[in-house]
Amino acid sequence: MHNLRARRWANVAAVYAFLLLLSIVFMGPFVFAFLSSLKDNPTEWPPSLLINQLRPVNWGASYRLAKQGGGNGFLGGMGPGGSIEFEVTYWTPEGQEPAPPEVVIPRRVQGGAAAALAVEHWAADYVQVVDLEEVKREPAEGGLTTTYRFRLVNTGEVALDPVPMDLTVPMRQQFVSATLAPNRIERLGRAQSWNNVSAGLLPYVFGNYARVFRENYSASTGKGLFLLWIRNSFFLAVTRVITTLIFASMAGYALARLNFRGKQGIFAFLLFSMMIPQQVTFISNYLVLRDGIFGLSRLFGVPTLLNTYAGLIVSGLVGASSVFIMKQFFERLPASLEESARIDGASTYTVFFRIMLPLAKPPLGALTILTFQGVWNEFFWPLVVITSPADRFPLTIGLLNLQRAYGAATFDWGPILAGTFISALPVIILFIAFQQYFVEGISFSGTKG
Amino acid sequence: MRRASSKVGEKLAPYVLLAPFLFTLIVFFGYAFVRVVYFSFTTYDLFSKPEWVGLKNYVNIFRDLDFTRAMKNSLTFMVVVTTAQTIIALLLALLLNQKVRGIRFFRAAYYMPSVASSVVVTLIFIWFFQRRGVLNFVITKFKEYQAIILLFLFAAAAIHIVLVVWEKLRRRPVSVFEPNFMFLGVLIGFIVAFGAVRFGFLVPREVPPVDIIWFNTTKTWPDFLGSLAFPIPLGAIMLFNIWTTAPTFMLLYLAGLQDIPRELYEAAAVDGAEGWHIILHIIVPQLKPITFLVVTMGLIGTLQMFDQVAILGSQAPRSSVITLAYYIYSNLFPSSAVPRVGMASAAAMFLALLTFIIVYAQRKVLGEEGENA
Repeated sequence: MHNLRARRWANVAAVYAFLLLLSIVFMGPFVFAFLSSLKDNPTEWPPSLLINQLRPVNWGASYRLAKQGGGNGFLGGMGPGGSIEFEVTYWTPEGQEPAPPEVVIPRRVQGGAAAALAVEHWAADYVQVVDLEEVKREPAEGGLTTTYRFRLVNTGEVALDPVPMDLTVPMRQQFVSATLAPNRIERLGRAQSWNNVSAGLLPYVFGNYARVFRENYSASTGKGLFLLWIRNSFFLAVTRVITTLIFASMAGYALARLNFRGKQGIFAFLLFSMMIPQQVTFISNYLVLRDGIFGLSRLFGVPTLLNTYAGLIVSGLVGASSVFIMKQFFERLPASLEESARIDGASTYTVFFRIMLPLAKPPLGALTILTFQGVWNEFFWPLVVITSPADRFPLTIGLLNLQRAYGAATFDWGPILAGTFISALPVIILFIAFQQYFVEGISFSGTKG
Repeated sequence: MRRASSKVGEKLAPYVLLAPFLFTLIVFFGYAFVRVVYFSFTTYDLFSKPEWVGLKNYVNIFRDLDFTRAMKNSLTFMVVVTTAQTIIALLLALLLNQKVRGIRFFRAAYYMPSVASSVVVTLIFIWFFQRRGVLNFVITKFKEYQAIILLFLFAAAAIHIVLVVWEKLRRRPVSVFEPNFMFLGVLIGFIVAFGAVRFGFLVPREVPPVDIIWFNTTKTWPDFLGSLAFPIPLGAIMLFNIWTTAPTFMLLYLAGLQDIPRELYEAAAVDGAEGWHIILHIIVPQLKPITFLVVTMGLIGTLQMFDQVAILGSQAPRSSVITLAYYIYSNLFPSSAVPRVGMASAAAMFLALLTFIIVYAQRKVLGEEGENA
């Protein structure tokens, strides 16, 4: 008896150990990539999880500094007349006289020329460094540490964001600590630089995420691109969910429960279409949209459906697999449901809308989730149809664009990873909230983008 | 009067309900398919009129080095990924079918990679596979601690085997995977490895950082396969593709496992069957329709692989990662040449035919049970 219980425990322990080990395999890359998306440099070697953005000390400091600067503690910024007090500590080897750091507010912004155009007022023009003084000197191992304090004052009448800062010290003098940890330490430890000392809590912790929104502007309208892409994807997903729900249930009902000529043929055709890769038919579909569906779109004053949402929506009104799911569902309903209504003389439409459709909530739920996820993640067809301008991209194509923008010279992985996670967030939330529908949907149809 | 019109209405009703679907099916599938067949016999550049050239395109694609490479890559990708993801999906489902507390959490966690888009997954993995990236770091660490890890595994396995053999010699009923012994093995293995490090018998080796170039390389692997070896960038894509699709199919298997009647297990237990025997002779045959579905979907899906190649773009040499789907796309939208619609269409027909033949052959091999799945 005792032995049996021990065995059961060992069994459970083994199962859990295995489950946890595999969790690392499946979740590991995702979690690690997410944590790295908070880092200043996601490609540092060796990859480390000691992330400045995740240390509570820096959370407090970034909140306080923004507050001092007269901005919002959470969102940052430096108001007119704002004053930030900053302390920094260095170590100097024996025999060398410690020197105060040279404080510079550089004319610099992350994200290159496009981001620079969006800056209205440069902090470099307004912020002055005052009261630089040594406040503490202590002996330390092999030398001594000195602490300096100074204030940054906004002398202008305008709000400033961001306020970058560079500190430089003589050779061999080493950086120890500062009010807020620097974003980069360069030139063999001589120069420490901050992207934004008045960032505020959220832009500090989610610096790369803020960059994604801040640094991508449309060349034609000047609007922030990333937000547009999110909106576009939402619009497309919602529209296509609606058309799919309506048209798939209509077609599914007809194929499942009505008798008419050509029914078998249509169903066989549907099955055949599910086997043929999209890359076969897209050649013609591209031309059909280019010519506005045999010129029909001209009636609405639109010469071509390329680069339009109308094109994407019309060509994706309803997918064969969605019809298949609905047909499977309607077939399983008992015939008696319909018969009594038919005897009372109800028309097909009445039966469909009044009796059958209200029963179809479970498959429609699964279809909603599946379609939303499918459209949100769709890549190939939008890549073909929407090529310009960047304002019209859905999020997947936008991400491709983002990768090109930040990967032009050397890869600036921070914003790329951040953009990736923002775009994955909606489907992850959907998944957590409606897990059951995902499972049902997969076992219903078995098709995935 | 009203009756007559409603009678006509009733006759038309099915077609009215079907109309939107028939529109997309006919215009964006039927018409498209017929037109691609026609295009494949012509030369056409999207602008001037198509010219009939007979079978010339079909001959020319096989003379195109890009096409043969694409075909080879697509087929390698299909075989490796479909096989691996089917087996892994089945094993995962068996593991996640255990009735332990919190199993739902693990199911969700494992499935998570599958809900994100191909762009998201590919971008994360490009970062992961950087020359100075996380994967190379993990490999470096593994090399540093290689001796210690091997010692641990060896000690654990040795203890386990000795205990099992001991029990068997004494003719006691014991499973080869007796969890108690496994537990003991792991524990002692850990103590041995820890002791070896603690008392200085083994130290982590100094190794230079591993810098395997995963994408920007024309190298192939493994060498002994000669011309059958696959390009390393394609191998990297395979790795993360399996990582994302295996959990999807795991869900299908899980649903199948839950449909297996309990009596079957009980009958097997009465007959004295256990462990691997149950899996191989009872579970696997019962899951045949699911396997059929999983393999069919896997074959169709892998033959269409496009996204990863497009997203990698110039980060990997074209010849190492080009697939049939990408070949078709790049002939229709070449970066610096006239579109070759005829060639693209011929390749597309080839892809459709290939899909058809492979799915059909697979049906013959696996049997017809899964037909209505």
